[in-house]
Amino acid sequence: MRGLKSLTTLAAGSALVLSGLVVSTGSATATTAIAQCQASFKSGHLPLVSAGKLTVASDINNGLYQPWFGANGNPSTGKGYESALAYAIAKDLGITSKNVKWTAEAFDSSFAPGSKNFDFDINEISVTADRAQVVDFSNSYYNVQQSIVALKTNAIVKHHSATDLKNYTYGDQIGTTGLDYINNHIKPTKQVHVYNTLDEAVAALTAGQVDAIVVDTPTGQYMAAAQIVNSKNKTIATQVGQFPTAGEHYGLLFEKGNTLVGCVNAAIADLTTKGTIKSLQSQYLGIYNKVPKLTPIQP
Amino acid sequence: MGRRAAVASSLSSAIIVGLIIWFFWRAPNGANVRHFFLDPHSFWINLTGDPSRSLYSILRCFETNVWMFMLCEALVLIFGLGLAWLRLSRTPILAPLRVASAIYTDVFRGIPIILVLFAVGYGVPGMQAGWISQRTPITYACATLVITYSAYVAEVYRAGMNSVPNGQVMAARSLGLSDVQTMRRVILPQAVRNVVPPLLNDFISLQKDTALVGTLGIVEANQAAHVFGAMEFNYTGYTVAALLFLALTIPMTRYTDHLIAKDRRRRLAGGTV
Repeated sequence: MRGLKSLTTLAAGSALVLSGLVVSTGSATATTAIAQCQASFKSGHLPLVSAGKLTVASDINNGLYQPWFGANGNPSTGKGYESALAYAIAKDLGITSKNVKWTAEAFDSSFAPGSKNFDFDINEISVTADRAQVVDFSNSYYNVQQSIVALKTNAIVKHHSATDLKNYTYGDQIGTTGLDYINNHIKPTKQVHVYNTLDEAVAALTAGQVDAIVVDTPTGQYMAAAQIVNSKNKTIATQVGQFPTAGEHYGLLFEKGNTLVGCVNAAIADLTTKGTIKSLQSQYLGIYNKVPKLTPIQP
Repeated sequence: MGRRAAVASSLSSAIIVGLIIWFFWRAPNGANVRHFFLDPHSFWINLTGDPSRSLYSILRCFETNVWMFMLCEALVLIFGLGLAWLRLSRTPILAPLRVASAIYTDVFRGIPIILVLFAVGYGVPGMQAGWISQRTPITYACATLVITYSAYVAEVYRAGMNSVPNGQVMAARSLGLSDVQTMRRVILPQAVRNVVPPLLNDFISLQKDTALVGTLGIVEANQAAHVFGAMEFNYTGYTVAALLFLALTIPMTRYTDHLIAKDRRRRLAGGTV
């Protein structure tokens, strides 16, 4: 259910995505930037909470889940996309893996204003304009895509061209990026059903009151693979496909004004250039990449 | 004396209203609360809607509430009467129905309407029992309102029927009217006249309860306000919805009061000492 975290009000920060693109375009610039960061770590000038160490936070006390962390929920194994990425960033900055320290930070308190006892928090946190007012975020390390979940028996499973998609009845939870995607990108001809909770939207889907719901790919994958079952515990839903990202993304979270963001962004840019991020994504997030692509619907 | 009383009462009302406004205006966090519930800009957006931001016009959504309660009230008046009639019937052959009617009223007057809404709205379509499972959410919502309110209204009718003096029934029978004729021509006309005010009361209640059907995903006035609240973190939409409901329920309440007063005058007309 970790994916639920990205169901936040209105993905914002397309500006942040753009700035990320600027950094990653010139690989020469990225290399210089990362070299400077490595030098400043060596000379002890990198602004770290605990000198010489990278303190990384995640929601350790509430459990860490695959594929973002390793099977046993221990973040320091370097297994799972987020754990592996944290170590890759550290390595890129010249910090050895034994100097990476993990600390617990609950999801809900992570984007509360105030001082932080970590360098950054890595916990599938969607970057939103509201949150960015009180904390700082790195550039994207995972672009969230919206996906369609429907019962296996529904017509949408076979017929989902850009024009077909307009003719279905959709349901979604109030205030989510999924609902926003339906209204702004699919623009269905029939009135969208708006439910107070995601459970109610799923109940309506199961009862056949709506043809499909739109949720982010990790959430949808979980729904189809485990959550939506019949009385015999057989899964009855399927993830029809996913749309290209509309700007929603996960970012590393920093205390507001923390200047370490610059070097971490340099590391992310460097790892993107080297192909490390792509290979980590295909290694750990393969199940999400396998979800079929849906034709983009022009806004 | 009358003039002094009028001056005194309007003065005291003005002072009390003034104190209440002053209290809310001077509250330490009053400005924030006013912005949260009474922001003029949000007020306007909620009335007109903004499709580019997926915001609904609460005024348009309120149409759903209006036609829902009009339709439901008509059905409730019919079903409620049927239930009350069954319950008061004396024919031995109708005994099982009499019991069924009593159980029905007990059960549906006793369950919170939102629970019936869940059971009907997600249960009936979930059964996949053909036609009955393939209706729209709004149909299930109406069914729920009719099911619940018929139970209330049946009791109102029954009280009305019981209020007709037994002598009326005996007189009707002695004129040779059948059971059905007695009910139709003698009891019902008097019973219904007696219970018009409580029936209107239930109607007002029904109007307000259409705000619950958003639970089934229907975007009526209250759910539209909820959408705005979730997107903009501002609850002015609820104020808009409340005002729209008041615009209908207040005239209805006044009319009910007027009927009660008229009925009272009519009853007392012959009997003043």
